[in-house]
Amino acid sequence: MKKIKVFFSGILFSLISTFALADFDWKKYSGEKIVFAYDIHPYVDALVEKLPEFEALTGIKVDAQIFPDDVYWNKLNLEITTDSGAWDVAGTGVQPTWDTSVGNHNVDLSKFLNDPSMTNPDYDYNDIYASLRSAMTWDVKGEEVVGSGKGVWGLPHSFENMNLMYRNDILGKHNIKPPKTLPELTATCKKLKQVEPGITPMALRGVNFWSSVHTAPASIAKSYGVVDYVMKDGKIADTGLDSKSSIKFHKDYVAMVKECAAKSWPNDNWYQVVDALTSGNAAMAVDANMFGFWNNIKDPDGKNPSGKISFAPPPTAPGAKNFESNIWIWCITMPSASKKQGPAWYFMQWATSKKMVLDGAMMGKMVNPIRKSTWDSADWKKYANQPEFNNYYDTFMEVQDRAELFFTPRYGFGEAMNAWSVAMQEMVNGRPVEETLKELAGSIRAGI
Amino acid sequence: MFKESSEKSLKNFLILPSVLVLLCFLFVFFYGVYLSFTDLKLGKPTVNFAGLKNYIYLWKNPLFWKSTKLTIYFTLVAVFVQAFLGILLAKLFSTKVFFAKIFRPIILLPLVLPPMSVALMWTTMMNPERGVLNYFLGLLGIESFMWISQYSTAMLSVIFIDVWTYTPFFTLIIYAGLLGVNQEMKEAAQEAGAGAWTTFWKIELPFMMPYVLIAAVFRIIESFNQFDIFIGTTGGGPAKATTVYSIYAYIQSFQNLNFGRGTAILFVNWWLVLIGALITIKLYQIARKRVS
Repeated sequence: MKKIKVFFSGILFSLISTFALADFDWKKYSGEKIVFAYDIHPYVDALVEKLPEFEALTGIKVDAQIFPDDVYWNKLNLEITTDSGAWDVAGTGVQPTWDTSVGNHNVDLSKFLNDPSMTNPDYDYNDIYASLRSAMTWDVKGEEVVGSGKGVWGLPHSFENMNLMYRNDILGKHNIKPPKTLPELTATCKKLKQVEPGITPMALRGVNFWSSVHTAPASIAKSYGVVDYVMKDGKIADTGLDSKSSIKFHKDYVAMVKECAAKSWPNDNWYQVVDALTSGNAAMAVDANMFGFWNNIKDPDGKNPSGKISFAPPPTAPGAKNFESNIWIWCITMPSASKKQGPAWYFMQWATSKKMVLDGAMMGKMVNPIRKSTWDSADWKKYANQPEFNNYYDTFMEVQDRAELFFTPRYGFGEAMNAWSVAMQEMVNGRPVEETLKELAGSIRAGI
Repeated sequence: MFKESSEKSLKNFLILPSVLVLLCFLFVFFYGVYLSFTDLKLGKPTVNFAGLKNYIYLWKNPLFWKSTKLTIYFTLVAVFVQAFLGILLAKLFSTKVFFAKIFRPIILLPLVLPPMSVALMWTTMMNPERGVLNYFLGLLGIESFMWISQYSTAMLSVIFIDVWTYTPFFTLIIYAGLLGVNQEMKEAAQEAGAGAWTTFWKIELPFMMPYVLIAAVFRIIESFNQFDIFIGTTGGGPAKATTVYSIYAYIQSFQNLNFGRGTAILFVNWWLVLIGALITIKLYQIARKRVS
């Protein structure tokens, strides 16, 4: 009797599974065509290389429109906010999506994620790191972004966490250890200037755009206890940028910039940071860890300083218990104006699927991978632990536990954070820290 | 009678396309002006009429006044230096000096380069640590200069780039003017005992002046609107040192997503351009009258 029960239960389970699986059909939108837009980036290179696999799997054609970095962001803002409908999937970041989600210019993807007929049962959304999922989740109330909610506004595609990266050939030559605190970092720069006068101690972004503050400043500031906004009853009540801890942080940070950064610091962006690390013109950088990873890749021309870049957690406030690391997430979003939301969603889940994330990582392009299963996989462990990558894997595992988005979700994020980057330039230029921060906070308060 | 009226209708009909094109241009302009009176923010679902709110914001904002000063300063200094150098080079090119013949076509090269390429090229050359300019200064025993990387030198460096790029424009126009100087008058003056300097000052320069001023009109309009060189070098920094109107409007519109405010800045800029151009045109008319 028991055997018969087991037998019929088995048949029933198979039938349910078959019907459940039958609900999701990769070929459902066969013959459709979608437009996918992205910035020129190794992340998208990986996807484009694998597009034939997606097209064979689904029968959906993808027109990948890839734009130069300087053009892309303005174009993205205009395409999304004017509801042009020209793009079906767009690559972007969390912060720009705060601005475009308020006018319902983006699709809340939770409706697809929660629909078994639209999402592959193997997709496993919860396999994506919690800090990334949480950064992409908020609600829109009226014209405001509310940080805790259920709306999913994009799928993380790859991400960067902030590390201290250093040229082990330069630091090793002089037996200098990677600094652990911000004052130690300043002291290390001083020493490096004495022993290696031909190089810049540290490559650092300084342009008057928020991308400058989201790397080293945001990560280190958090360990000083700095917050961008003070929350009260779930709402933004004030800014924390003129707090005592912020004043202390900025004094230390300005001293560090003066001692460590290149003279061209106010004009330096991420490409100058990468270039300085590659060429060995700089000994250290606190920036996105994959810059170090990509530089360590062995290339046939031998142009990369393969194996010469090592990793450490970002420096902290003196005496801080923990280091902190801000993250920048590349995500893919769906404009509301897309008339092909079904096929677009199929593309999005494929692009962030376990297989694609692992394949992209193994190509050395979609780094850092967004899925925990990728980091646990033997293949990726073997690849990322090759000698040329030094301690990339171990440092990632150490940092990832404390890596999360520093910024508070808010429409108009850019205006306040751009003002912070300009204030940073003013302080480095000699304007008193307290006075500058007070003025900065005043302008931010006026916008709250 | 019938023939006359049908001819008139035909004329009106033939003018219609030009009127339509003009209306299209005017529509875009007035639409921009209208936006400056709204609270249009990219992303926000609603757009409301905001009256003078954007202009009041600008009036009360110290950065707007700083930006006004920077825009006027940049335009005046850049155009004046370009005109001065343009006169010198045009005078040189009108001589029979061997090098003048060689440099005449070469000097025009900066004009054919895209301004963004010019900006990127100079940004690299002006790098305080690894730029070629400081390398050359070093060879001459001069200490390295901060160029676009320091508050006090950034604007002058951008003016330097603008002068390098657009002086050939002045040279070209003024040289054409110089070729039209009445030779008989020049010879008569020289026979009357006028020296080279007096001939230049009393005859050539007044003849050149309308050309200088017509070139200045174009350059004033372009300098008030200069964007590429600023965005490609300093982006308005360091610390607002080069935040001219075009950059200020760009930051407000595309980085802060505040299109209403951005268009208000550009509308103020349009008034400045108009006033600058009208003054120069008036001067041109005076110079022209004097010559004739």
